[in-house]
Amino acid sequence: MSTPKGSVLVVGGGIAGVQAALDLADSGFYVHLVEKSAAIGGSMSQLDKTFPTNDCSACILSPKLVECGRHLNINLLTLSEVLSVDGEEGDFQVRVRQNPRYVDPEKCIACGSCAEKCPKKVPNEFDMGLGKRKAIYLRYPQAVPLKYAIDPDHCIYLKKPGRCGFCEKVCPADAINFKDQPKEHLLNVGSVILALGFKPFDPSGLDFTGYGNLKNVVTSMEFERLLSPSGPCQGHMERPSDHQEPKKIAWLQCVGSRDINRACHGYCSSVCCMYAIKQAVIAREHSSSGAVDATVFYMDMRTHGKGFEAYYDRAREEGIKFHRARVHTVSPAENDNLKVRYAGENGDIREDEFDLVVLSVGLATDPQVIKLANDLGIELDSDSFARTTCLRPVETSRNGVFVCGALAEPKDIPQSVMEASAAALEAERILYPSRWTETKEKHFPKERDVHAEPPRIGVFVCSCGINIAGVVDVQAVTDYAWKLPGVVFAQNNLFTCSQDTINQMAETIKRERLNRVVVASCTPRTHEPLFQETLREAGINKYLFEMANIRDQDSWVHQRQPEAATEKAKDLVRMAVAKVRGDDPLPYNTVPVIKSAMVIGSGVAGLTAALSLADQGFPVTLVERKDRLGGHAHKFFRTWQGQEMQPYLSELVSMVEASDLIDVHLGTTVQDVSGSVGQFTSILTDGTEVKHGVAIVAVGAESFKPREGRWNYLYGKNPNVHTLLELDQRFIKDDPGLKGLNQAVFIHCVGSRVPERPYCSRVCCTHAIDQALHLKEMNPDMDIFMLYRDIRTYGKREHLYQEARAKGIIFIRYDLENLPRVSEENGSMVVKVRDPIIDASVTLHPDLLILASAVRPRDDVGGLSKLFKCAMTGDGFLLEAHMKLRPVDFATDGVYLAGLCHYPKPVEETIAQAKAAASRAGLVLSRDAVPAESITAVVNLQKCTGCAVCARVCAYHAVNMDENSGKAQVDTGLCKGCGACVAGCRSDAITLKNLGNEQIMAAVEAAMEDF
Amino acid sequence: MNDISKSKGAWEPKIIAFLCNWCSYAGADLAGVSRYQYPPSIRIVRVPCSGRVSPNLILDALRSGADGVLVSGCHPGDCHYISGNYYARRRFALLKRFLEFVGVEPDRVNFTWISASEGEQFAQVATEVTERVRKLGPATHLLKEF
Amino acid sequence: MSTVNEKITSEIREKVRELLASGHVAAFLGYTSGSVPMVMQPLIIRTPEDADRLEWNSFCVLNLANYLPALLKSFEPPRRPGDPPPEGPLPKVGVLATGCWSRNMVIQVQENQVDRDRVVVVGISSRGMVDRKKVLAAVGHRDVTAVYEYDHSLKVSGPGYEREINRWDVVRDNCRTCVHPDPVIFDHMIGDLKGERDVADRFRQVEDIEVLAPEDRWSWFSTEIASCIRCYACRNACPLCYCPTCFVDDSRPQWVGKSIDKADTAIFHILRAYHCAGRCTDCGSCESACPMGIKMRILTRKLQKDVLELYGAEAGMDMQSPPPLSTYKMDDPQDFILTESIKGEEK
Repeated sequence: MSTPKGSVLVVGGGIAGVQAALDLADSGFYVHLVEKSAAIGGSMSQLDKTFPTNDCSACILSPKLVECGRHLNINLLTLSEVLSVDGEEGDFQVRVRQNPRYVDPEKCIACGSCAEKCPKKVPNEFDMGLGKRKAIYLRYPQAVPLKYAIDPDHCIYLKKPGRCGFCEKVCPADAINFKDQPKEHLLNVGSVILALGFKPFDPSGLDFTGYGNLKNVVTSMEFERLLSPSGPCQGHMERPSDHQEPKKIAWLQCVGSRDINRACHGYCSSVCCMYAIKQAVIAREHSSSGAVDATVFYMDMRTHGKGFEAYYDRAREEGIKFHRARVHTVSPAENDNLKVRYAGENGDIREDEFDLVVLSVGLATDPQVIKLANDLGIELDSDSFARTTCLRPVETSRNGVFVCGALAEPKDIPQSVMEASAAALEAERILYPSRWTETKEKHFPKERDVHAEPPRIGVFVCSCGINIAGVVDVQAVTDYAWKLPGVVFAQNNLFTCSQDTINQMAETIKRERLNRVVVASCTPRTHEPLFQETLREAGINKYLFEMANIRDQDSWVHQRQPEAATEKAKDLVRMAVAKVRGDDPLPYNTVPVIKSAMVIGSGVAGLTAALSLADQGFPVTLVERKDRLGGHAHKFFRTWQGQEMQPYLSELVSMVEASDLIDVHLGTTVQDVSGSVGQFTSILTDGTEVKHGVAIVAVGAESFKPREGRWNYLYGKNPNVHTLLELDQRFIKDDPGLKGLNQAVFIHCVGSRVPERPYCSRVCCTHAIDQALHLKEMNPDMDIFMLYRDIRTYGKREHLYQEARAKGIIFIRYDLENLPRVSEENGSMVVKVRDPIIDASVTLHPDLLILASAVRPRDDVGGLSKLFKCAMTGDGFLLEAHMKLRPVDFATDGVYLAGLCHYPKPVEETIAQAKAAASRAGLVLSRDAVPAESITAVVNLQKCTGCAVCARVCAYHAVNMDENSGKAQVDTGLCKGCGACVAGCRSDAITLKNLGNEQIMAAVEAAMEDF
Repeated sequence: MNDISKSKGAWEPKIIAFLCNWCSYAGADLAGVSRYQYPPSIRIVRVPCSGRVSPNLILDALRSGADGVLVSGCHPGDCHYISGNYYARRRFALLKRFLEFVGVEPDRVNFTWISASEGEQFAQVATEVTERVRKLGPATHLLKEF
Repeated sequence: MSTVNEKITSEIREKVRELLASGHVAAFLGYTSGSVPMVMQPLIIRTPEDADRLEWNSFCVLNLANYLPALLKSFEPPRRPGDPPPEGPLPKVGVLATGCWSRNMVIQVQENQVDRDRVVVVGISSRGMVDRKKVLAAVGHRDVTAVYEYDHSLKVSGPGYEREINRWDVVRDNCRTCVHPDPVIFDHMIGDLKGERDVADRFRQVEDIEVLAPEDRWSWFSTEIASCIRCYACRNACPLCYCPTCFVDDSRPQWVGKSIDKADTAIFHILRAYHCAGRCTDCGSCESACPMGIKMRILTRKLQKDVLELYGAEAGMDMQSPPPLSTYKMDDPQDFILTESIKGEEK
């Protein structure tokens, strides 16, 4: 192949697409991000809270979207769709059609005057049609790009020109363009990533649910909007029929999932159990009485992710009811209430009445996406998800085209984010020779040294059209600013952020020799970077800048009090001037990068991560504590899709051994680690000193061996009792002893979901069922019994469960109160268990007893986590930086995790996570230096007592005590500038640059006094 | 000098609000974007994290003439800096009780959690805090006479 | 028949003589009687012969932990900033410690002010120390020339009078409500450990103020501190106040004014107490040191009560537990958060 292109097309602007785009753009590739709607954010932006942390979805998502929207190397194409992709891996030609927005994004200031005046109300798709928007609209308040769009299907003017056009008349920025035309873009890219997401299952066809006929039957996505503070009822949780707060709510699980008969969707949607529990928990929080009666009707409770089981346990403790029952019908009752008829586990029919019924609808592929996939030549599976395999989890059937997120299989946000990074990695692996060839870089002039100068402050007061000027007397504010101490220039602008004003501001800074700048306009959260860049263009340090928020936090919230708003604007300007006077130029900190990685652990995760980096030319030190590569995978027979592990593992191992870039240290562990991102130095037990820029921790986990105690079940006492991996080893050896057996019994959840190990081990249900099927392949007459608590064959794995049942494998449920009992009578095993369906005890006589025992964290993980200053969960697994959006990063920059040390997971997820970790590591390794925070803590040694409060409260281990002086010192490479140390210090000995006590006090005092 | 309006009849309270950049400041912005109206009494000071706000700063606000103080951060679990609001919660819990103990009126110093999506809640809190402070009248206990 | 304190004194002398003679410690920090009755002075001795100068009685109120860091430092070779710590073990120092002082030492160790390995703690379970001001009040503020201590009473005499006072009646307020008389760290023990004391209404003094209306609380507080001359004796007596630049002395930033101003005095007392939150062991040194008789102990007592109520923590009880303001629990109480309490009210 000739030199590949240095750019990538990402299709779909949901969280997966955004993550893939950011990973690629930050590691040297130019990205075209195509999004069908008017704003990126996808389904995640519609969610209220996210499980299991109850994080506010918008809060955690917005920063990523803003970053994406502003990124110099991401070309955001909204209202766009891909028409065709021709060519091949490394060199694709893509045609994209961009539909007209009818609003000039360069001019729109998102003031909302247009939408206020627009007479046409339209059901708001963002609120699932529960609320209304106008024909000119923002998809949601935090939309990126924050630009209005006209909906051509509903705009009166576009339908009948000359009829309306109010928006054009009121727009203060002259941004409306009714003549806007569709554009076609021809893109030449090296790789394509599909992140097209899912569409919630439409339950209209399922009569028994009453959806569509009964107003108070809503889908889970609709309920999400009812809970959201930005939703149609501002988070007050009202039911649709009468806008009353529901007091009694039912959730119906598996609507459009695990249902071959009515919904034609045999797969499990993976996320619905957790989101239903979350919604029940949040509904109780939202309700004014706090006493919502919440009931979840389910088949199996699938809380198989990290922190999920504990969330489920807590929900039950809090009084949320869970009924293992299938609902027959939902029918109308009095007062718009709903009668739910359901069958209990033992078959008896019961009835209960609810105010609101939420259908936990599954995830399905949008028919338009199916069409696009067909057009692009991407194979889909029988469930219409992109076809991938366990060993190549993000690769589609077309070379150079990758997939991530729910398009490949229903999955939750962290799994989607992981796959997004993994897909980015696959693209990087192909395109790495062309890194930084198509990216753009911004250059700034040398900065003027202003240290010796007295403050010369310039104040720019924005009218924002009439958004500010319509309420605040901007001229009075500008005149006032002139009088403030240190101010040598003040000016009022119509739109301070418009390109011509920005250019003029840069000129003014130079002409007036300003050394401090205040802009009184909108919010720094969206506009600070723009103005700071202007300072740099004018040759002064960008930290000599403050904003006074006189729009979002003044004119917009005091619309009927112009005088008070004007006084407040003066106060805010005075505060900003007082603050900026004390601002110092700060260094643009960077840390040079040692372009090599250390990978700890050589299981599938470690091997995959090491190869993924070496493939891009980065040297890797691979540290393995045992004396051979491969880890637990040596004991693993096959994936649930049937790919055998041993040939795959041998290939991985031989590739690693053959690589010149991978330096393998067997029988070795890490003894000591120092330094931080870009500059780590590690000492290995074999005496080697390794300098590396990043580290990936992939030390795996262990299988729980119940040698004694409650979960023993004759393990270690009877030779025919095995753990799953022990049976796999007999499969690998093709042990003939397995062929003549009459009966096998599997006991699930051995040591998982129990008080001493409260988490679900995630892999065992699928693994056990696959083993049972393999036993059946070997001997179709064998009787096989599965003693289980909940079957958790999530996603497409559900098909295995269906196959097992079809092949006559018997499933008997047990619970913790009635554990199976295993004994030996006359040399043979006897298993007794109570079957809750027939309500009787069953006695079995297996020749083989398989214990699906827990995956447990390794004991030495704690030591490793201390070395890298990483956190651990209460269960003993390693804790990522953020459970939702940073699933492979640690809070410590430059350290990543993959595989089972994070949480139990099957091989396909392990591979994806290892690739994701390699992608994240690539963000650092692809650069000569990485940026570090500029607003960092700084210690005044004269005042420091060495008491270490600062070090104790620092979440980033950025502050430590100097061994010699005994005083605090800050590692600026680690410091994030949060200021927890500053507030904790009694001695005022540690402070934040430009956010010291003196400066905050200056602003506070300025708020009170008039000069 | 201290807010001349105090000597006149129409007294309007001045309240210093320390808002964390990532959640509460964003919530205050959203209140604006959504045009929720609240009294013009709040002066917002943007800080990186509620964990940055020391008791000293709160006392300094009162000493400088604030009639009330509001500190708001991300909801527990949402902190952009992992744990800043948890430390802040302990500091503030003790400070609030302690200030009340020495006779500072309970409604003078207020703490809230407001997320980036809670624009309406921010407006409600701003209104509520203003009303509470208005009822108390000007703060004098810790006011420094310059 | 000797009294308890006489017995303790002789045991202290014996133990200290042994520690110094064996070279185990280079110096010992204890008490000796001063020139004025009822005022005991801290004493540092360096030879076994001097052990007989040590004394123990109910007036040992100045917290010895306050002197410990400087004493330890005096045995370190001089160093310039940036010099590595001296090699080899440094001399050890012995010190007497009751419950509260030992807890201060735990905090000093946690806060890196004291190296536990260099301190030999000789523990004494406290019987409660006597408040000199209470004794003076009991004799009508007449001159006191001699005080003789029995186990349960004090014989106080002065020009033209002699009075026997019940000891417990004049024990300091902090000691009367103390539940931890035993040292929590010690290397040698004088006498036996007594175990926790059962104290009814431990925080009664605080509760009596809590029930007042806000304006009455303010009136109590402002009256109490009205006589403050900002001499900072309370701060200086406190083993936890060791900042090189105290916030009251700082000019950048200037947290409080330097002159005596009502607001500044109030903020001084509020912040001084707050800085002791989760650290104060109610040793009472601050109050004992105040020349104006200001009862500022109740301020730290209030914080102590709240830290216990809210976080189940008591200062310095355990070397391994992080200081309460340097740690947190996910489910720490948050009723005071307005948005939470509004939610709570609605429920």
